[in-house]
Amino acid sequence: MKTICKFLSIACLLALLACSEQDAQPVENTTLYLRNKGADMPIWVRGNTQSKKIVLYLHGGPGDCSMCYRYYLKGIESEAMVAYWDQRVAGASSGKVKESTLRYAQFNEDMQYVVKLLRQRYPNTQVYLLAHSFGVELAWQFLTTGNNQQLIAGLMVVNGIYSFSNWIINVHDWALREARRQGNAEAESYLSAHPVPPENAATSDWEAVYRWMYKLGGNPVSLYDDGKYIINYAFNSPNTALAQFTHGKAYSYYGNVESRLFEKGALLQNVTIPVGLFWGVKDGVVPLGVGQATKQLLTRTRVTEVLFNESWHEPFVTETDKFRQAVVNFIR
Amino acid sequence: VTPFNVFKTLLMKTLLIIFGLLLLSLLSLRAQSLRVSYYGETITHYGLKAAYEWPVWSYTKQRNQAQKKLLFAPGLAVYRHPHNHIGLVFSPELTYRRTSRRGGIFEAGIAPAYFRYFLEGTTFEVNDSGELTRVPLAGGNAFLPTVSIGFGKDLSIRRQLPLSWYTRLNLMQQRPYNTSALIRFSLEAGVNIPLKKP
Repeated sequence: MKTICKFLSIACLLALLACSEQDAQPVENTTLYLRNKGADMPIWVRGNTQSKKIVLYLHGGPGDCSMCYRYYLKGIESEAMVAYWDQRVAGASSGKVKESTLRYAQFNEDMQYVVKLLRQRYPNTQVYLLAHSFGVELAWQFLTTGNNQQLIAGLMVVNGIYSFSNWIINVHDWALREARRQGNAEAESYLSAHPVPPENAATSDWEAVYRWMYKLGGNPVSLYDDGKYIINYAFNSPNTALAQFTHGKAYSYYGNVESRLFEKGALLQNVTIPVGLFWGVKDGVVPLGVGQATKQLLTRTRVTEVLFNESWHEPFVTETDKFRQAVVNFIR
Repeated sequence: VTPFNVFKTLLMKTLLIIFGLLLLSLLSLRAQSLRVSYYGETITHYGLKAAYEWPVWSYTKQRNQAQKKLLFAPGLAVYRHPHNHIGLVFSPELTYRRTSRRGGIFEAGIAPAYFRYFLEGTTFEVNDSGELTRVPLAGGNAFLPTVSIGFGKDLSIRRQLPLSWYTRLNLMQQRPYNTSALIRFSLEAGVNIPLKKP
């Protein structure tokens, strides 16, 4: 009986302690979902709420993932909230999605609602965009539509394009230069015989140029080389482990038709919000030449340029600390 | 809709129910057991699974005393993938199990499972007027055909414990998933408790 009384007393004490009022958490750890046109898209919001700043990460691909890069981006969370949004079909997005919705216009609509949701959930908070690769295409499209710039405090561009033509010309130039530097006669011969003139860029065989670029070391970094990353990704994160390998074919229309028509160059002069150009200098996927051309077109805004000399396409993977600092400096 | 069609539907339903009841009563005459296990979708997304086993057919080989069984085992698994979803898997399994003379178990099974999941997060849907409205218990349904392979040990044979332990790997295909299908896998590890003697 005595033992039971003791046990009950301890249990009551613990229960009372558990009921004590807790301070509001300064760290956000919320999962939101946006349901639109058949897709359930997760938006994981993590980080410092007191900063009143959200960095919305726009992942690449199309078909890459957002939360899977938290491993490298979480250093930013001490300074701001980071919203990791998995685009439709990509990452841990689920639902029953028609392939015909994988279009720029639909991605733009989804992004409109993601920004709207974040602004509703976090009033009086500034939203910044951190866009990587394909995410940059979404960012330019979003910011050059209507009054969307009023919703965004700033854009950080990481190795992404504003124009298909400009991109493939730069990839071709990069590959030819590397072929000559490395003494790769076969590559040099192919690339010289298949130039990409601006007037034919949109109809060029971009995949052949792209393959040579990869063979010449345009982006040797693979996340899958890091065992610790893989274990965290597959077993200890909100990512859906095998989802990355389910949807490759779904983007064929994007690759064959829509991406070739992507051209926002003339509209960049309308961008007035601050822009940061963060570039992996060694990248062949989206070479530095694209970044330089982007800067020239941004005539009506303040442009901050940060170069990552030891990086390829994902500078946040190869120079994580420097990248974190660049983001923090930009949003301060 | 004609009266004949209504009658035909009713007759089919009644026959199905009678067939089901007959099967259950036949099965209930045989030894039954309960399987309870840890259920880990992608191993670490933790959950529980319970299944009730009815032998449909059994045979003991005289030469080595190995017992072979075909089991019908409807089961329910619940698991959580933190910050992603909570999943419910209802799987009417058909399992082949071989228990050796020393108690070693090998089993393989198939199941046309039903998958129901609830998104773990606050879900907002875009309505017709472009506003965001909250959706309670948002999630989805899917077909989840499953194949399984496992092994274990019947402890009643050598240790006189009326129990067997087992572990099995399930390979599943969630359909539909986005524009196509998704492969999932899960690990089960648990015990099999006999409930009724043959």
